[in-house]
Amino acid sequence: MSAAGSIRIIAIVGGSAAFLIGASIFLAAIGRPPLATLSQMVLYAFGDSYSLSESLVKATPILLCALAVILPARLGLITVGGEGQLYFGALTGTAVVIALPAAPMVVLLPAMLLAGAIGGGAWSGIAGLLRARCNVNETISTLLMNYVAVLLVNYVIYGAWKDPASLGWPATMMFPPAAIVPSVFGTRAHVGLIVGIAAAVVLHISVTHTRWGIALRVLAGNRKVAAMAGFSFVKQTLLVMALGGALAGFAGICETSAIQGRLQAGISVGYGLTGFLVAWLSGQNFLRAIPIAILIGGLIAAGDALQLYSKIPSASATIMQGLLFVAALGASGLAGRGTARHG
Amino acid sequence: MAQPLVMMSSIRKQFGPVLANDDVSVTVNAGEVLALLGENGAGKSTLMKILYGFYAADAGTIRISGQPVSFSSPREAMAAGIGMVFQQFSLIPALSVLENLLAALPDAPWLQPRGSTKVRAALRWLTRLAPEIDPNRAVRTLSVGERQLVELAKVLNLDARVVILDEPTSVLTPAETERLYGFIKTLTSEGKAVVLITHKLADIAACADHIVVMRGGKIVDEAPARDRTPGSLVEAMVGRGVAGSLPPPSSPPTDVPLLQVRGLSADIQGRKIRDVSFELAPGEILGIAGVSGNGQFTLAESLAGLVPALAGDVVLDGVSIASRVEDGAISGDVAYVPERPLDNAVVADLDLALNLALRDVRQLDFFPDRKAAFRRAHELISRYDIRPPQPTLAASALSGGNLQKLVIARELSGRVRLVIACYPTMGLDVLATQAVYREMFRQATEDACVVWISEELDDLLSYAHRIAVIHAGEIMGITRREAADRRTLGRWMAGHAMIEAA
Repeated sequence: MSAAGSIRIIAIVGGSAAFLIGASIFLAAIGRPPLATLSQMVLYAFGDSYSLSESLVKATPILLCALAVILPARLGLITVGGEGQLYFGALTGTAVVIALPAAPMVVLLPAMLLAGAIGGGAWSGIAGLLRARCNVNETISTLLMNYVAVLLVNYVIYGAWKDPASLGWPATMMFPPAAIVPSVFGTRAHVGLIVGIAAAVVLHISVTHTRWGIALRVLAGNRKVAAMAGFSFVKQTLLVMALGGALAGFAGICETSAIQGRLQAGISVGYGLTGFLVAWLSGQNFLRAIPIAILIGGLIAAGDALQLYSKIPSASATIMQGLLFVAALGASGLAGRGTARHG
Repeated sequence: MAQPLVMMSSIRKQFGPVLANDDVSVTVNAGEVLALLGENGAGKSTLMKILYGFYAADAGTIRISGQPVSFSSPREAMAAGIGMVFQQFSLIPALSVLENLLAALPDAPWLQPRGSTKVRAALRWLTRLAPEIDPNRAVRTLSVGERQLVELAKVLNLDARVVILDEPTSVLTPAETERLYGFIKTLTSEGKAVVLITHKLADIAACADHIVVMRGGKIVDEAPARDRTPGSLVEAMVGRGVAGSLPPPSSPPTDVPLLQVRGLSADIQGRKIRDVSFELAPGEILGIAGVSGNGQFTLAESLAGLVPALAGDVVLDGVSIASRVEDGAISGDVAYVPERPLDNAVVADLDLALNLALRDVRQLDFFPDRKAAFRRAHELISRYDIRPPQPTLAASALSGGNLQKLVIARELSGRVRLVIACYPTMGLDVLATQAVYREMFRQATEDACVVWISEELDDLLSYAHRIAVIHAGEIMGITRREAADRRTLGRWMAGHAMIEAA
């Protein structure tokens, strides 16, 4: 087996073991039977069609935000702006709904989704432009723009777009049925999931089998040689940042429309950051991000269910999510190091 | 006879399918220069990297002063008195010379007061080796030759008893080379052992005491230096008779210029060229001589159109090719072989097939035909003898000489109108050098202009139609080969302009 393959297996086995031990210690410490609670979580995540659909609902924005990190990473860029792009996409998508509330579905729905994607792409594209033209570090700029986007959304839902009928609750009006993203398989899971998986597959094929993928690899490997071959770092930076941002923006408007039904605070519970972690866990691989996103979505959904039925504080799901990330990243790091040493 | 300082016995090392060292035994004595001679990829560097603890041998033993040792890292080897200067240096470009030297000391101090004993200790070898290098200069401003001296001082600071030099003269000017020879003699007279990895017979003639010739991972000849003639060494090295030197390329058929460079000025991070002008007829080879670090890199890059010209123009067959930085690739009519291929010509973590295809990568289909790319790669790899011959290997796995062959294969195998070659034979052995020259001269006979930047003055004097000398970014003079003499060129290289000579 290849070295990379064995590293991956060691990382998966070791990471899972470390996570199970860590989670058991944590559960025991808060006075819960570890094994029973953990198996209950698996049931709450994937045990029946309702749990599964809830997990997929959570997985959708995480997957899209992960793709928004992986694509720039293929060019050697590290962005942490999924959250901001998601919020800004939600904002621009909602703007279309506010402007054309009575438009028929064939017009409103595509226009809203497109506006969300364009908004997210533009938000991310600003950071891309700063990076490509002025050499501003994209990690810092995307991080800071997260705060701006979230506060912009707050600004409109507390101000101009606040629905008078909501009795002071900071939110826009409910979206008309023509602006609701259709669900799939008769569950709460929506079209965003299909788009996310399709995007992952298309992007994977693009970066591994096309001339564009070669351009990204050459640019990531040696900018000087890339310039000789005629690949423009400026153009590709803008492209990957805008495309990535568009996916996150699309996630934002889907969340707003399909899950919340209107723009309000807290449309994302850290999906952008979770997506970033999923991207790293996947080793910046589009296809591997799909199952990982679903797994993490399951963990979050199970956490919600535990809080509801077993009266375990919801923060414990977040704590376990953190344990999972630390265990997985730590194990893959250690496995990589150990193999490099003896290889 | 005294105990040998280093004894390596039956060393064996395999990299995948390649047997780099096959049952190799060498002995290094104190006060002696051992020359390890061989072509690129003969296994010389691998053998010494095993001694240096960089690789672990698959089989075999190493004894130092009779004691068996086993190094698992260069740190341990250094502690045992083994030091190595690599072809690719390990200096930190952003730091000053002094900081680099201090950082390499085992007990590097946190604070560095001027004139402290630590600073003196860090500088003791450098001041002997190259007193003219200001220790406060940043390493990135040094020429390749100067960097090598700093690297050597760094190794000597660690009290190395065995100093391994990997192709040390391939980057040096003639004067620097002479100085290095003298220095090697000083080291041996002080009882140190020197291992000189080389493929230059001049190095052997100048300072070797004992010679080991390697080919294909095996030792094919071993003798005291005085018992061997250059001819027999080359024969042992390449395994066949000495290939005759090339005939000089014929003169260009016409004087009508194909390439016109007019008042070209450019600047890459302070490395400037000023007001460079010359014209080349189709088929003409212009050699550019000069001490490295005098603007050669900037000249090559700006001729290729990779950096914007601050003034002036480069016109190839009536079309300006200068300053193409933003609007796309290097012109399809231009073949560019830059210096330091790992930094400037290949993508280290991509495979050989892709690196060989980079020249016209933008003409590929949107879904590139991989099979065709691999076929082409196989063909080029066997034609240019790139080793190991595996198109799927990452470029970073290749030795310096083989990387150079890869770039030559990519740039010179097609038809072009202008060849810009910057130190194209650096790190190459006799056969590979001749192969590179043959490709360059073939381009010239097919009516391409050739701009050939080199430090091999003898080669320029044998093959170039005209020779220009660059100093501090300016052309000091241009002369026809027939009219050139070493003294005039030497004066130009030192910065005396043409007026005095003419």
